[in-house]
Amino acid sequence: MNSTDIQIALCGSAGDGTIAAGDILRNAVAALGYRVICFDVYPPEIRGFGKCISRVRITTEQTYALKRQSDLLISLDDSHAIPHAGEVRTDGAIIYESKPVGHCPEGSHMSSHILPGQIPYGIPLRELAEKATGGARSRNLVVLGVIAGLLGFSPVPFQKIIEKKFAKQGPAVVSRNQAGFQSGYDVGVNTFKLDNVFCVPQESNPAAGKVVMLSGNAAVVQGCMDAELDTFFGYPITPATTIMERLATAMPKRGRRLLQTEDEISAIAATIGAGYTGARSATATSGPGLALMAEMLGLATMAEIPCVIFVSQRGGPSTGMPTKTEQSDLNAALYGSPGDSQRIVIAPTNVEGCYRCAGKAFEMSEQYQTPVIVLLDLYLSNRYETVTLTESGPPFTLNANKPLRRLEAGESYQRYAFTEDGVSPRAVPGDSGCMHVVTGLEHNTLGRPNDSEEIHTAMSRKRHDKLLAALHHPDFTVTKRIGHSGRIKVGILAWGSTFGECLEAMFMAHAEGISCASMKVVMLSPFPVEAVTQFMDDCDQVLVPEVNYEGQFAQLLQGILARPVVRLSRVPGSPMPVELILSEIRRLAGVV
Amino acid sequence: MSVAALHKVDLKPKDYKSEVSVVWCPGCGYHGILNSIYRALSELGVDYANLMAISGIGCSSRTPYFIKSYKMHTLHGRAGPVATGAQLARPDLAVLVTGGDGDGFSIGGGHMPHMARKNVNMTYVLYDNGIYGLTKGQYSPTSRPELKAYTTPYGGPDEPMNPLLYMLTYGATYVAQGFAGKPQICAELIKGALEHKGFSYVNIFSQCPTFNNIDTVEYYRELVREIPEGHDVTSLGAAMELARRDAEGHAPIGLLYKVDRPTLDERLHKIVEKVGGHPGYDVNKIIDLARP
Ligand SMILES: Cc1ncc(C[n+]2csc(CCOP(=O)(O)OP(=O)(O)O)c2C)c(N)n1
Ligand code: SF4
Ligand SMILES: [Mg+2]
Repeated sequence: MNSTDIQIALCGSAGDGTIAAGDILRNAVAALGYRVICFDVYPPEIRGFGKCISRVRITTEQTYALKRQSDLLISLDDSHAIPHAGEVRTDGAIIYESKPVGHCPEGSHMSSHILPGQIPYGIPLRELAEKATGGARSRNLVVLGVIAGLLGFSPVPFQKIIEKKFAKQGPAVVSRNQAGFQSGYDVGVNTFKLDNVFCVPQESNPAAGKVVMLSGNAAVVQGCMDAELDTFFGYPITPATTIMERLATAMPKRGRRLLQTEDEISAIAATIGAGYTGARSATATSGPGLALMAEMLGLATMAEIPCVIFVSQRGGPSTGMPTKTEQSDLNAALYGSPGDSQRIVIAPTNVEGCYRCAGKAFEMSEQYQTPVIVLLDLYLSNRYETVTLTESGPPFTLNANKPLRRLEAGESYQRYAFTEDGVSPRAVPGDSGCMHVVTGLEHNTLGRPNDSEEIHTAMSRKRHDKLLAALHHPDFTVTKRIGHSGRIKVGILAWGSTFGECLEAMFMAHAEGISCASMKVVMLSPFPVEAVTQFMDDCDQVLVPEVNYEGQFAQLLQGILARPVVRLSRVPGSPMPVELILSEIRRLAGVV
Repeated sequence: MSVAALHKVDLKPKDYKSEVSVVWCPGCGYHGILNSIYRALSELGVDYANLMAISGIGCSSRTPYFIKSYKMHTLHGRAGPVATGAQLARPDLAVLVTGGDGDGFSIGGGHMPHMARKNVNMTYVLYDNGIYGLTKGQYSPTSRPELKAYTTPYGGPDEPMNPLLYMLTYGATYVAQGFAGKPQICAELIKGALEHKGFSYVNIFSQCPTFNNIDTVEYYRELVREIPEGHDVTSLGAAMELARRDAEGHAPIGLLYKVDRPTLDERLHKIVEKVGGHPGYDVNKIIDLARP
């Protein structure tokens, strides 16, 4: 009875304060020391009355994804929330407006959609808000109060966050919102008792104060700042924009420079220009921007210039589905550019991974002198997770450049000298002895144009081989196996944000006695052939779930390893359903 | 760029020649432009270790190979934004961009307004030969419709653009025009551009005897007129009037426009100061770290 796992779904119209309420809720429970995963869905329209849902999963143990079923649904607008009544589990509760104003045609009220086994909580939200605050706008705060009271959360962190959030609007607004929260809290505490249903521990959590709540994009920004990014150039595009926006606030405070450029071509061009001069430089975009950057990525590969590109994928092709998630830019990230596209591509699987991959990307691009693409997606960029704070400093090397050797008298500096590890020591402008040219043309060791077969072959090999060391990059998880060891019935191979859903499904399968394990592949280029082969050797069947139609990761695996895998490719615009993965695991394990 | 702040050295024009031999056709106007660049660098005493020569793709974009300096030969049309990044990351460097009319105004045309309006502290020398030289003779955005290029065998379907009006309109703070056949004037204009703090643009007419048979040396000699003394270089109106060409269609050569405006670099620095940010990284530290 002492482990908690509650998922709350808040649903309303844009303008109801649904997302804002979700934000307060997740931060408050994080302050109480719970682990939290959240993901908001909102309409693509800027204004209007589209549907907003904020789902918050609150646990005492580490979890990896949202649950398919919520324990509590809060409706701030029945017309949007009714279709979600079915996502509430048996014995779960639905909170809704018990005194709607005006005419209520048949079927338009939540009360007629509660399923057998679900607990209906009609609460006069509007009336409570009006009584406490003089208006109906703070219904979302009333609801927060109800949740806190109902589930036995201390009201203190809620009150603190409300205070902070509304401080700018003056003390009157703060106290009005506090009153709204309080009126809901009183109802929640006094009217209902749900503790036994939801198992919320009442004692304070030992982890309190040691975790922070970050979105994937916020974690990327933190990684960039901790790796001491010098310059950033970008062009706004959903879902990558918030990386640039956060950096725009943070970088000048550390004397760093950020510029909004005229397009993605100039964003990556400037990133490469800055990279050549020795600065740590990055840009961030989504699929359409990545397409525009393709030619420049080829230049960075050819001229061996460090640069980091964050790509948060959304639904495609073309403008596609800007506010829906997808993992369909893998091919573009791996191959998009003229010629052989030698580069490093890494994809974190959770928010903490976003932080680590961001920082490590700078190390790698400097150490191997190559573009590094960090592949995220909308789901990972926008989802919030609690991340445990570490006591020691940032885990990144701040200068990963290979040292220059002092030149002999009369010796000219060779920017592209052949070396054992394929990496040629890099001089940057300002050094009087090492002037040289870097170029997108095939070149000899001095950088001068040369298109002979010998040079093109040798330089292609250099650009390819030097990257292989990245597979053993220090303190970086290239692949990781989780679950049963040894021989297993079903192995799940996954990349990016979908890995969380895979783990959830795997643990459920374990509980059913199915032998299975999962492997995440964080580095997608160069490809960790050895580790993945070893894993596949242990599996009777290999399942590859991913959120794209063509099975891009499965194709990559099959292309490189020439082994059969079972594809689970879906394009729901939302994360891969855990139940779907689980039923595939069951099917492959022969359990029906 | 303003080279005033740079460490001055005493070098002859030939000291700026790299070991790479020049590959242009005999009679190409670019030879004259390159010599003007050497001369301007020498007269200003630019330290070549602190010089970044950056180009796109085209015959003209080969220029950096021939200059002793740090240099980047980038992509067709993209020298400008690459140079913007380099300049902002390393405001201690002098940045010189060279390129062609196709490079700068066709494929790279979308970048030009932004370098100008942002007043990026660098010099852009555009070799205007009214043709695509490197790809062997196609129509360019400064080609005249009379030109029968390989992609316009019956003549062109459109009118040439006016680079000077373009740059003036978008806010370049130094706008000049030269002609490769007058290297003395070109050297003066490039020198002025390198000394200028902010975005300086120099358009240089240049003959391509190999592929453009109408914009010949003789044609340009007839076309150009030196800007009369007394022209007010701080007047945008007067500069635009000159750029529009006179009643006989003569093109001005000389300095049309020069004003002071804070550079992008300075403005970004102001933002750092405003938020009380301490200077983030030390350029010398970066250079030293790479050294043994
Ligand atoms: C993306 C791309 N498109 C086309 C080309 C082919 N290309 C190379 S140079 C050039 C035009 C060169 O003309 P200009 O810029 O006027 O330079 P010039 O050779 O006349 O000095 C073209 C079309 C290319 N290199 N890259
Ligand atoms: S093709 Fe024309 S522009 Fe190119 S080098 Fe020859 S003459 Fe000069
Ligand atoms: Mg040309």
